[in-house]
Amino acid sequence: MRSIAVALAVARKDLVSEWRSRELVPALAQFVVLALVIANFGFQIDSRSAPAIAPGVLWLALVFAGLLAFGRAFAAEKEQASLEQVILTSAPPAAIFAGKALAAAALLVLCEAVLLPALALFFGTPLSIALAAAVFLATIGMAALGCMFAAMVAQLRAREVMLPLLTLPLWIPFIVAGGQAVQVMMGGGNSYGQALWLLIDFDILFVVLTSLAARFVLDE
Amino acid sequence: MNRYLVAAAAAVALMLAAAAFIFFFAPTDALQGPVQRIFYLHVSSAIAAFVSFAVVVVGSVAYLWRESIVGDRVARSAALVGVVFTTVTLVMGMMWAKPIWGTFWTWDARLTSTLVLWIIYAGYLLVRRLAAPGRQAARFAAVVGIFGFVDVPVVYFSVTWWRTVHPGPVISTDALPPEMLFTFLFTMACTLVLAAVMIAIRYRIEALSDAQPQSQFVLQAAQRPTS
Amino acid sequence: MSAILAAGITHWFGSEPALEGVDLVVERGDHVAVLGDNGAGKTTLLRILATAMQPSAGGLEIMGLNARREKRRLRARIGYLSHAPGLYPALTAAENLAFFCDLRGVDRARVPEALELMGLTQVARRRAAELSRGLQQRLAIARATIHDPLLLILDEPDASLDAEAPELLSRVMQKRTVVFATHDQALAARLGHRTVQLRKGHVMGAGSRLHVVH
Repeated sequence: MRSIAVALAVARKDLVSEWRSRELVPALAQFVVLALVIANFGFQIDSRSAPAIAPGVLWLALVFAGLLAFGRAFAAEKEQASLEQVILTSAPPAAIFAGKALAAAALLVLCEAVLLPALALFFGTPLSIALAAAVFLATIGMAALGCMFAAMVAQLRAREVMLPLLTLPLWIPFIVAGGQAVQVMMGGGNSYGQALWLLIDFDILFVVLTSLAARFVLDE
Repeated sequence: MNRYLVAAAAAVALMLAAAAFIFFFAPTDALQGPVQRIFYLHVSSAIAAFVSFAVVVVGSVAYLWRESIVGDRVARSAALVGVVFTTVTLVMGMMWAKPIWGTFWTWDARLTSTLVLWIIYAGYLLVRRLAAPGRQAARFAAVVGIFGFVDVPVVYFSVTWWRTVHPGPVISTDALPPEMLFTFLFTMACTLVLAAVMIAIRYRIEALSDAQPQSQFVLQAAQRPTS
Repeated sequence: MSAILAAGITHWFGSEPALEGVDLVVERGDHVAVLGDNGAGKTTLLRILATAMQPSAGGLEIMGLNARREKRRLRARIGYLSHAPGLYPALTAAENLAFFCDLRGVDRARVPEALELMGLTQVARRRAAELSRGLQQRLAIARATIHDPLLLILDEPDASLDAEAPELLSRVMQKRTVVFATHDQALAARLGHRTVQLRKGHVMGAGSRLHVVH
């Protein structure tokens, strides 16, 4: 009971802070659109190659936006020296994580709300519930892992380098399954349903693991 | 002569014996030619790497569960050895792949997951350097070690489900002639001995550096009885 | 039972010793001032007492609880004011306190009362970023006491507070065991029952009753 209250309080605090300062979301949205522009020049995308390349562009943009969002979530707490105060309240670490992950995931979803239409506009991907569902499911697991490593990295030296180094290998399963799901929608690949189930399995696995690991990462 | 030196000499002798078997006893493969001889050490070092990382996980769990310094030290030693064997596996695999597949690299399940394994445990070694020495380094590294080990089968599975071209296991299908099978098993045994000796020596080094007066571990151990 | 029983507290940062064999006994209701130059180990000692850090060596028992094993129960009874205020700049003063009420499972109804006690009622709806350094410090003190802790650990509580510092601090120190670090001898004399002098990680003249001194 207290855990849920703590998680919600943390998430609300982060979202209110973001709403008032509006620092991260505009930057993320702009970053995502810029990533599409760069991808266009990097890959020489035309209407024929778009179906093969667009899924990759989507996940690349999302992965790097995610790294920024999750990195910020804990870096700000560390810079303000508020992380220590939060830990010293004896609130359950897994609940603090859940709250941070919830807020960061919400920001990433906002950024997806820009990314998916932009992708449809520039590369002609379909804009469907099915696509949004796959992206959303991947966001859950990525948020759990991203927040855990962001919390760890915030306490290390050289934190900017270490977050992608630790997080990206663990995100690969989400990118594989998510990329597959998007490819199906663009007329290729195996089965959409299977990809979705895989994403759900990975979500469950990593949400459970990160909540078990929380107390080792967020203590003193 | 101290026993570490003896063990190291024995491991090197065993590896030379394995090399003799590989080059002079095992027959040349009819299809692949001499390149196939890479297989013996390639698969053996892959197995040694996996065993090392399994040891990392056991040590890490022991550390997180009971703050066992021995567990942490075992994990530290095995991680380094595991990274070395993973490097050997990857490089030898690429040397084999170029003439046989016509390319150094392909993104199939085994190659991808082995590469991911290498990246994660290289990250493990980095976390150890960048975290505050003592408890924080041990805890963070343990979490990375355990997550990495869980992640690898997941990556393997997700890529398999996607696409794969790596030759499947050949041992179980009886496709290997007895000389080849013997050479392989012998090489594998020798490589595992080598890995064990390397971990033991590394453990000794870690234990000695933990015994430095400024080490956090010595002080923590000294604290035990009072708390 | 003493509030704090610390025996042989030692801490190393890398190969630099910050504290060496510090023994400290604090009785219930005692107000102990920790004095010392910069780098003498005051902050390290206070952080250890607040369970924000584990010492490299030494035994620590606070209110009968082992500081290593029963950290979470202890933290619920300790209020800690750190060097940096650690406030959320985008949240108002009241929201900052309310957030910590939620984390500690304390009724939010305590917020107005805590603001009142620190003289912050006027600025309750101002964002923490807009408050002066002194008001931020008051807010941080209010947060450290929001859960009515039995033990207060205050690291330079007078920092950036004006002339009313002693008055404000004595309000929150009442009926509590307090360990506080300060540079100000006069403040230590006024608020502390006794002082502990730290020099290069060692305790110098501990245990001198202050009323004897002045």
